[in-house]
Amino acid sequence: MTKSSEESPSRRTFMMVVIGLISAVVGVAVAIPILGEVLSPLFKKRDIVWSKLGKVSDLKNIEPLVPKFVPVYFRVKEGWTVNTLPRQVIVVKDITGKLYFFSNQCTHLGCPLHWIPARQKFMCPCHGGMFNVLGKVVGGPPPRPLYVWVHKIENDTVLIQNKFLDNPKERGV
Amino acid sequence: MFKKIQNWFDERIGLTELINEFNGERIPARGGWAYTLGSLLAFLFTIQVVTGIFLLFYYVPYFPMARNATYYIKHHVLFGNILLGIHLWGAFTMIFFLLVHMSRVYFSGSYKKPRELQWVVGMVLFSVVVVLGLTGYMLIGNENSWWTINVLTNVASHTPVIGGFLRIIVRGGTETSVLTMQHIFAVHVWLLPIIVIMFIPVHIFLIRKTGEQGLPLEYKNSKLADDDINKWKHPDATVPFFPNQLYKDMIVALCVFAVVYMLAVVYGAPIGPMYRPLALNFAPEADWYFLANEELLKYFPGHGLIIFSTFLVPTIGFAILFALPFIDRGHERSPFKRPAAAVLGILFLLLLVYLTLIGGEPKAPATV
Repeated sequence: MTKSSEESPSRRTFMMVVIGLISAVVGVAVAIPILGEVLSPLFKKRDIVWSKLGKVSDLKNIEPLVPKFVPVYFRVKEGWTVNTLPRQVIVVKDITGKLYFFSNQCTHLGCPLHWIPARQKFMCPCHGGMFNVLGKVVGGPPPRPLYVWVHKIENDTVLIQNKFLDNPKERGV
Repeated sequence: MFKKIQNWFDERIGLTELINEFNGERIPARGGWAYTLGSLLAFLFTIQVVTGIFLLFYYVPYFPMARNATYYIKHHVLFGNILLGIHLWGAFTMIFFLLVHMSRVYFSGSYKKPRELQWVVGMVLFSVVVVLGLTGYMLIGNENSWWTINVLTNVASHTPVIGGFLRIIVRGGTETSVLTMQHIFAVHVWLLPIIVIMFIPVHIFLIRKTGEQGLPLEYKNSKLADDDINKWKHPDATVPFFPNQLYKDMIVALCVFAVVYMLAVVYGAPIGPMYRPLALNFAPEADWYFLANEELLKYFPGHGLIIFSTFLVPTIGFAILFALPFIDRGHERSPFKRPAAAVLGILFLLLLVYLTLIGGEPKAPATV
């Protein structure tokens, strides 16, 4: 004979525990794959590639302290696709002839910078960040100088990686 | 014939009784027009769901194509511009009236005991609807969407401890990619609407449970003192929800819907240019309801302070709003008898309007 739970308090407790356990087991069993699915990007390695920017001899000919915007195209795997990411490289030659390869993303929140020749500054159209031609912050909220692309020079060719130097938190790109 | 059908249902599930129970709710009599805002929001949300479902017939959540799919809906689908326009202007109207609804509840002290939970559930709905608006903006797939995704995920990345992970999870990787759009799409069309659909009944259930309470002007005849909680349980007069209150609700809904429809037909939904990653003179703009927050991001310079604008100020602001009924615990409801709350509320609204207006000013020009 099955006893009603009203007659037997211990049986009632037992039933409540079983109900709770079944809910917990099913909940956890469903939650684990969902959590894995959502957190999956954290375990994926980013696709890092080298891409040609141009010849050093050409870039050396730009005027000093006048930024030149040069597009670079990264062919990378993103999720289930292979995409071409076009990005801007700001090439700047300082007075000693050294070349800098900056990203045109504001280091504040990543908006595309504008070069304002009259003021000799990069200005962020979003929140008013300002950088000088060598990437130092000269106004507004940006927390750090301009990102510098990882780059190397091989046989007179500048190669750029889709990665920034000195960027431990992988902001930007 | 109709009677027979009714009887058939009544014998089995007591349908008439159910409907009478639902429609017979007593509503305080004097402030009827002020109480239409909640049902107006439910109405606007229904419109959003219906238009949204049918926009999915053509939409593709894939970054380079999303904008063209939206463009196709607007220019090549029969009446697509109206459908898209209603979805856009309906969203704007909904966020606007959410703010009006919240202000009404704030100034009339309607969040006070026993309606604290009501306010908290309402705040959940408010937060979700704002995120729905932002994700909708991202799904258009135009140039603004791209930069909004980048900027907002970067904002999220400044959350202490989990920020970096949060950005990667939302973007589906370090970069804004095809997965980012897919995630935003899933959140916009399923996750958040489901939360809203679950919380609206809770919101309504709590109103029914806490009973017929209303604006301070409903209690003019009451002899009880203001700090007596029993005073607020008995308004001077009440009317049934159906048809008295619903009649007013429907009139307001029609007026607002007419405006939304007109904006949809006349202005439609602007679809900006395709995303050009190499553009050198593009100035991203946020939607109007995010401009105040956007303006906030311009202050707090430097590495140490950035967390104030991206995390601390908005989070503390939201936390205070969430906890409002537990902070302001007096039983007094009339805004004229609680000057501190009323003045603070007005100042906050003015600050919001001010930040929105200066946030909407033209950004740094491309050439000076």
